[in-house]
Amino acid sequence: MKNFKLLLITVAFLVAACSENEEPADTNGSLKIEFDNVVGSANLQLNSTNQPYTNSLGETFNVTWLTYYISNIKLKRADGSYYIDPVVNDGSKGYYLIDEADAASQVLTLQNIPPGEYTELTFTVGVDANQVTQGAQVGVLDPAKGLFWSWNSGYIFFAIEGIAAASTQPENVFQYHVGGYKLISGNANLVNNLRDVTLSFNGDNPIVNGSKTPEVHLLMDVLKAFNGPGSTVTFTANASRHSPVACVDIANNVQAAFVVDHIH
Amino acid sequence: MKLFCGCFCVWALTIVGCTTDVEPIKDRYAFEVPANFPVPHYTFQNNPVTADGFELGRILFYDGMLSRDGNISCSSCHQQHVAFADPLHRLSIGVDERVGTRNAPAIQNIAFKKFFFWDGGVNHVDFVPIAAILNPLEMDESLASVVAKLKADEKYRTRFEAAFKTDEINSQRMLHALAQFMNMMVSANSRYDRYIRNEGEQLSASELRGLAAFRHKCASCHATDLFTDDDFRNNGLDASFEKDTGRERITEFAGDRGKFKVPSLRNVALTKPYMHDGRFKTLEEVLNHYQSGVKDSETLDPILYSNGVLGIAMTEQERTDILSFLHTLTDESFIRDKRFSQPPN
Ligand code: HEC
Ligand code: HEC
Repeated sequence: MKNFKLLLITVAFLVAACSENEEPADTNGSLKIEFDNVVGSANLQLNSTNQPYTNSLGETFNVTWLTYYISNIKLKRADGSYYIDPVVNDGSKGYYLIDEADAASQVLTLQNIPPGEYTELTFTVGVDANQVTQGAQVGVLDPAKGLFWSWNSGYIFFAIEGIAAASTQPENVFQYHVGGYKLISGNANLVNNLRDVTLSFNGDNPIVNGSKTPEVHLLMDVLKAFNGPGSTVTFTANASRHSPVACVDIANNVQAAFVVDHIH
Repeated sequence: MKLFCGCFCVWALTIVGCTTDVEPIKDRYAFEVPANFPVPHYTFQNNPVTADGFELGRILFYDGMLSRDGNISCSSCHQQHVAFADPLHRLSIGVDERVGTRNAPAIQNIAFKKFFFWDGGVNHVDFVPIAAILNPLEMDESLASVVAKLKADEKYRTRFEAAFKTDEINSQRMLHALAQFMNMMVSANSRYDRYIRNEGEQLSASELRGLAAFRHKCASCHATDLFTDDDFRNNGLDASFEKDTGRERITEFAGDRGKFKVPSLRNVALTKPYMHDGRFKTLEEVLNHYQSGVKDSETLDPILYSNGVLGIAMTEQERTDILSFLHTLTDESFIRDKRFSQPPN
């Protein structure tokens, strides 16, 4: 009798253990992506009174504003298929505005993701033409957020502003506003500054299920945005850039400025 | 017989009752495509016209609250009696009497257009008001501030609730209401329209000769019954373009320097002064330009420089005829349409 009781408890325990582990593992889960903006090895601090950072050309600067749009997020599974973060026509879902001045904006939570192991993350820096041609949008795409170019319809994808001693602009400011998506047939000159970023998890693959919400920590390095495959940006030349063509190099740099730091 | 008559009267009354009560109210807010027009370009699926949305847009259009100092409304620069152009100012005048850089064009048939403004920088009707509100030389205000002012206003809260079935006011709903109002501004009832649609209108001999000459000499650019090909061209106003580079400002392509939107010529007899900077006061001056004022430059449209001759040759008779034809494009019912007038307070 005693033995039987023990057996019963053991069985019950096993059943409970099984259902705890397996049942949620089959249900959809969430994944968090954190965008951590850094300057080389230093964490980015906005509005420092001095110019604590130095670009690859030895020019010092600080940052007063840094913000960018992330969209079209896709997660690749081990079997090569994709989970695609849903987009809603009015911009209310699928678009994210990362703002250095707003900590909450730097962590995205993707919900209702099918369970499984994911190997790679893809996203777009910017807001694609399809969305702009839909007219006035809501959410982070609300033009009242101040990132809409009124004179040249479209969003500023990536904006960074600050002060650099080397800038010849009034009060030594620099302003780089990267935007421009228009592709008009017959005009090859309109540049498209949308950039896709693909980051492998390098085998440290997050496993999503109902009981685990993995967190992917990304770094966006301002120094790389100023020095990368596009060009080496000097504050001495045109430190006030507000048009698509003027910012192609920075768009190319930004594409290479994101890395996966760690996953937990 | 008496009975029959009574019945008939009741029946007739019912019909009359129906037509006066129901039909006009439905038509009043229906967006209709005129038979001689192309398909509209506007995304109506995202923003269909409704009675309450249209009326809200109308109130917004006439409200100075959209500007920083409360003094400048859309209607300050776009007046109905001249097809929503600005008859007085070569360059528009905004808050604090600030002088703008371009002439305010007519607002008409905009649901059919792909591009707005002289350089085509705006590509959707919804975005047009943003440019006017933000421009420091026009309304000099921020969208966020306009939304805050609307939210604080009891009258607007009720109006937005009626139009969008939610009490949340945001910039999208404001822009949608303005777009509903402007999309309905369809001008397609000129004498020319009624003639071309065989609605019993006759044009005079001179007007008909003018139409033929226009088709021959002008319609390659002022094309279709919208009288624009919706493209950007240099019609030879200047030889250099430091003041305003036109389309190049948007495309950043030297081949577009000095090109401007081909404007519609509907209601053109009303929309003086003419061209992007309002440099011509009369249509005669415009014809003088095409005849003898065209200036050569890298981007001059080839149509205006054929066989080594600049401009468009016209006889005195052709000039007179083209002028009388251009007057057939005036749409009296559009400029008098009560739906678009200043709303009663
Ligand atoms: C200070 C004068 C001024 C005010 C106020 C103003 N506009 Fe305009 N509007 C202009 C000028 C000038 C242009 C041409 C701008 C350009 O081409 O760069 C224009 C262009 C337009 C066009 C484009 C027409 C076309 O076919 O390209 C529309 C539509 C329009 N305005 C609507 C509005 C609305 C709606 C408002 C109010 C929210 C408004 N405007 C307020 C001066 C004004
Ligand atoms: C090569 C293309 C082309 C041809 C041909 C042409 N136009 Fe134009 N037209 C334009 C463009 C472009 C503008 C606007 C230019 C600007 O403002 O910089 C314009 C402007 C105008 C305007 C001013 C409208 C306004 O609202 O300001 C009138 C009127 C006009 N054209 C009439 C004519 C007539 C009449 C003819 C034929 C005799 C003609 N055009 C032939 C391209 C053309």
